[in-house]
Amino acid sequence: MGTILCFIGVGVILFFVLFFMTRRKPPAKDAAAKKDYTPVFLTLADKPDNILRGMDKLVADVQRTETAGDRWWWMPLLIYISGFGLMLVDGLLDALGYFSFIFTAGGIALWIAAFVMAFSLRKSRAQAFSPRYANTKSILYTLRDDLRPSTTFLGHLDLTGAMLPTKVAREANDAQNRTTQYFRDEWLNLKAKLYDGNVLRVSAIQRIKQRKSYWKRSRISGKMKMKPPKLKGSDQQLKVRIAVNPGVYKIVPNKEFRQGQNIGKYTLAALTTEGGIIDFVASSPFDEVEPEHILNVLHSAYSLLQRKAA
Amino acid sequence: MSRKIIPFVVAFVLICLVMVVAGVFAFSGAVTAEKFGSATTWSQSYSAAESMKAIDLTGDGQDDLFIQNSSNVTVFDGSGNTQFSFDYSSPKTTLGDVNGDGTDDIVVYYVGTGMSVDIISKGQRTTIAQTLNIGFPARAAVIRFPSGPEIVLADNGGGLLALSTEGKVLWRATLGSEESRGLDDAVINGQKYLAASNHDGALAVLDEKGNIVWQNNPGQIRRMRAFDLNGDGTGEIITGGEDGQLIVWNAADGAEEFSRSLGQPVSEVREVELNGEPSTREFVVGGKDGGVWAYSFDGTTANQLWSGSMSDKVTEIAGLDVNGDGKEEAVLGDDSGEVAIFTENGSRNNLPTHSSGITRIDIGKFNGARQVVIADGSSVEVNTVNFSSLPGFQYTPLIVGVIISAVILLIAAILASIPPKPAMKVSFQDKSRESLEAERRMLKENIADVERLRQAGEVTGDAYLARLKSLRADLAENEAAFKAQGFPITVETFKCPNCGGTLQLGMDKCEYCGQVILS
Repeated sequence: MGTILCFIGVGVILFFVLFFMTRRKPPAKDAAAKKDYTPVFLTLADKPDNILRGMDKLVADVQRTETAGDRWWWMPLLIYISGFGLMLVDGLLDALGYFSFIFTAGGIALWIAAFVMAFSLRKSRAQAFSPRYANTKSILYTLRDDLRPSTTFLGHLDLTGAMLPTKVAREANDAQNRTTQYFRDEWLNLKAKLYDGNVLRVSAIQRIKQRKSYWKRSRISGKMKMKPPKLKGSDQQLKVRIAVNPGVYKIVPNKEFRQGQNIGKYTLAALTTEGGIIDFVASSPFDEVEPEHILNVLHSAYSLLQRKAA
Repeated sequence: MSRKIIPFVVAFVLICLVMVVAGVFAFSGAVTAEKFGSATTWSQSYSAAESMKAIDLTGDGQDDLFIQNSSNVTVFDGSGNTQFSFDYSSPKTTLGDVNGDGTDDIVVYYVGTGMSVDIISKGQRTTIAQTLNIGFPARAAVIRFPSGPEIVLADNGGGLLALSTEGKVLWRATLGSEESRGLDDAVINGQKYLAASNHDGALAVLDEKGNIVWQNNPGQIRRMRAFDLNGDGTGEIITGGEDGQLIVWNAADGAEEFSRSLGQPVSEVREVELNGEPSTREFVVGGKDGGVWAYSFDGTTANQLWSGSMSDKVTEIAGLDVNGDGKEEAVLGDDSGEVAIFTENGSRNNLPTHSSGITRIDIGKFNGARQVVIADGSSVEVNTVNFSSLPGFQYTPLIVGVIISAVILLIAAILASIPPKPAMKVSFQDKSRESLEAERRMLKENIADVERLRQAGEVTGDAYLARLKSLRADLAENEAAFKAQGFPITVETFKCPNCGGTLQLGMDKCEYCGQVILS
């Protein structure tokens, strides 16, 4: 009897494991879950329309795979229940006084098949796209009309993750020999020749400072304890360089666009206008910056330009 | 191979495997649905039987049921009616044709006028000896020595006493100092000898005059039986010890032919013809903690066939061919009242449980039918044991195999229908010369940017190398795109022969892996 109860218990646990494996995840709302995004890397070297179409197609393809997998989410559960059904045949035979194990063996085989299928369906799932994907699309969409005809956007959109080992810009140790890592994630790099002859270069960079996990001996118990990694800070940087077409514009100082000025979520950290090039860095303490703020900064930079008389 | 084909190939391989396994199970006969049941023919109240045997004691050619407990000896006929019954004080009994009338008699060794012996022949009781110089009754046996039958009595202090069939004391011997745990006839070269053992471990074979042929002391003995396991005219003596040691001795010289430690005291040993093969003999051993083992003796040594378990101390073992296949099944009873049938391959089938511990089990033919007699703490029950099996059940593995194969095929079809996940590294690239040149310029600017960042100390180590490697790889791709489109290009990159990373022409050492480049 104990064995049967144990078997039923294991069966019920496996059912719920399978259920949570197969069920569709609701859209993440909490901050922690927000970090699980589909890793995407786009190389941009094409006309705006092609890039925008390509970005839409990528999302559609991912959704198509996911939808095809989700359509069968119930199948592993059905196979699992069928396995139970087979086992019940043995149970029935047992109740009639006959000993049989073959249906139980078949049921276990079906359970294994259900898990293999659930695992395969799970693999067809994709995580959500980062909001930066849509934000970049929105920036490209806005800038597309400002692009010089027959030229292309150049650059990349790197949404593979900010805290990869390859993105550790440098490391520093403190007095207690704890290591702090400085991540530099240039997630957007864009160059465009504009209709007015200017050349625009935009880099969006996320900088993260994180202390690595370390072992520490407890002062009270004397035991070694592992301290988890700790996020010490994060900010967004927008580096913009506009090579001004001297035939069309001259650069004039402007009170609305100077160092220390707040523009939306950004604060202008550095600004130079030497040699006919506007070069500035805007920084923001926010984790995410909406596209309108980036475009607003770019738009404000144009206030330094005064169109020459024809 | 196409992504749509792979699941079907894997499915085909799995289906083949499943069907081969199913075929092996189906055609080897390993899968059966069999059950054993029992129906009570009759039962009588009888408390805690110590000895029981289905045997013809009235000379009518029909089996009667002899049963004895600590105060009574009774014989029932095949329908459960009492033939005769006698009360005794602490009797120990044995059966054998003492008076030569062709019908077995009951020999009763009991506390009467001193230690006494009665012969009950066809219900007639005769006292053949009284005030015998022997201790409290422990066991009795009728041994058909070459010179004639002798009644051998064993007491609880190691004393042995042999009587003639008329009650005359023939010889006396002492074997150890504790109670007898086995008194049986051992065959040596076709002649009967007496095998005797005591709880203190004394084990001996004696001849008709009480002379010891050989003796040994393997340690405390709980059970001793003698069988001719290999049919060579010289028997084997099996002892089961308190320490769990099971030993098979050669009856002629006491040589140890087989020994095995079972891990629990041996409570019963019986011969059961499990495989129906007369050239090998099988015996089943029961343990005090419920362990059950079956051995086959091939003439020189024993091999374990299977092991199983009961819920409590195995109190009795009997062999019965229930399903008529020429192979006996072992019927076992335990101290908790459970009765189970173990088949040739060791599978256990339970019969109805009794309310008190099983004391004795025997097989007999009552009213023309083979029946199992089970005695427990309060009654004796005669049961008809039946066997049934589901016809064609052995082919069910094929059905199960087909179901599993269908599911595998279904899963393969579903997985093949799911489109592949798109690549997450995508390049949107215009192949016009202007575009490729613009891209090339931008990549060079970016490489210069990374170099500048490194010099400024903003990017160091792996991040610098990773970014540089990625940009140079993009530059190499750009060069490849130039070539593919047929545009002239001055190649500026090459691949490291060691790590495959893209390097600028002219470098003599790979920045990524440290390989010195000679060409």
